[in-house]
Amino acid sequence: MGLPFFEPRLDTDLMRPYWDAIRNNDLKLPACSVCGAWLWYPPESLPCHPNGHLEWRPVPKTGTVYTFTTVERCLLPGDHKDETPYTNALVELDDVPGVRLVTILVNLNGTPPKIGMRVRYAPTKVNDQTLPTFEPET
Amino acid sequence: MNSLTPVAITGVGESEYGRVLEPPLFDLIANAARKAIEDAGLSAADIDGFASTPGVPPADELAAALGVKERRFTAQASVAGAGTVGAAQLAQLAISAGLAKHVLVYYGIKTSRPGGAYAFHAADPHKADLEMPLGFYGQPLYFAALAQRYRHEYGLTDEQLGEVPVAARAWARMTPGSQKQDPLTLDDYLENPVIATPFRKLDCCLNSDGAAAYVVSSLEAARDLPNPPAVVAGVGFGALPVTLSEMFTQNPDLIQFAGHLSSKRAYEQAGLGPKDVDFAEIYDCFTISVLLQMEELGLCGRGEAASFVEGGRIGPGGDMPVNTHGGHMSNAYIPGTNHVVEAVRQIRGVRGEAQVKDAEVGVIAGLGGNEHATMVLTVDG
Ligand SMILES: [Zn+2]
Repeated sequence: MGLPFFEPRLDTDLMRPYWDAIRNNDLKLPACSVCGAWLWYPPESLPCHPNGHLEWRPVPKTGTVYTFTTVERCLLPGDHKDETPYTNALVELDDVPGVRLVTILVNLNGTPPKIGMRVRYAPTKVNDQTLPTFEPET
Repeated sequence: MNSLTPVAITGVGESEYGRVLEPPLFDLIANAARKAIEDAGLSAADIDGFASTPGVPPADELAAALGVKERRFTAQASVAGAGTVGAAQLAQLAISAGLAKHVLVYYGIKTSRPGGAYAFHAADPHKADLEMPLGFYGQPLYFAALAQRYRHEYGLTDEQLGEVPVAARAWARMTPGSQKQDPLTLDDYLENPVIATPFRKLDCCLNSDGAAAYVVSSLEAARDLPNPPAVVAGVGFGALPVTLSEMFTQNPDLIQFAGHLSSKRAYEQAGLGPKDVDFAEIYDCFTISVLLQMEELGLCGRGEAASFVEGGRIGPGGDMPVNTHGGHMSNAYIPGTNHVVEAVRQIRGVRGEAQVKDAEVGVIAGLGGNEHATMVLTVDG
């Protein structure tokens, strides 16, 4: 089981708070500052309250696997042969409706990944970068 | 929409198709366009309207190369299959409004270019910042995750997925110019290595260089042209309320395309329904895309496509022929466009050993991420 290494491009500051929180082993997602609706992926302008702004709020670190795929051939630009296989998952966090995080499941220790599997946040360091990975809850 | 002028596809053309072709994209498109115009029994001077999608050479350059005299209508439709199939809707509107008489729809692609078919996703900031750093990149992974979800909700075996490329290959072997001609069995499929569960390489469409084009004319004009008209009985467009950025991760129901919306509109316009369909050409970027769109087109119920395709039912001799040229998996990946070409030939009844018996109503499903177009083609009268 490998982990792919590919740095976020961060051409704009829109997604920077996400990675800042991860670097501190934390997990924060953007919500509308007026009504509190979760807005994911973060939009350039707020559909619900155009005069509001994105407020990055801490979220529960547990959730459920919505779907997954175990990647044998990584398609990222560059050579990533030594970084496979890894299991991508879309995780729905507890009490954060309408949001799915793209993640990698780690510490499976032979447990086959499953839809509906309970997982918890378990960030992993790859080189100098911390990845927002999840592991089985039990 | 009762004031629409009835229209038909009067000409179709294709360039050569291949993995890496020498001629520039523009030349491939011009070649396909010339063939389509000639097939319609028209000359370049008769073409006064153009419709295509983003990412192809603009109409002014193509018109100049073809020798088109007066261009009175130019439009850009949606992306990928939603654009190339949905462009017929723009053509019908233009003809109905008296803006054009003969509209050329054209498309070409070179996936052999650096970055290939994935490159446009890499340009998306959300993908670059939230997906690529986790290795979640490339259409095969997005659709594999969809297939996994479908498997969870409805059940889906490897063998059922394998029915799709096996049927496509059998059709492609009866279609001159197909990129893939060697036989393919279900056992071959099962031995093909997995790239992203549950997908094998054979669950994915081809990489292609090539171009295709078609001409839309009024039905009245079509009746005076050499080929039997392929009547555009209905063409519908639909879009989901999620962005293309979010389509493969945040779509509330991840295994829902906009095909249920576009097909409803196309059937309504045609006054026909799924029960009338004799064959279907379905945007087959991946195996799961075929299954989901079969359901959205009403060819079977929701969650039923996986078992529906068992036993070669969508292959030659099956009771619901799908992608009768081999589709994007074995004929060529000319998004949606070679599907339109094939449907027209089936309606004309000129497909030789691959001809569907009594093909009077065909449906074409064009996926374009969060958008979708459906066209219903029929024989005249
Ligand atoms: Zn709000």
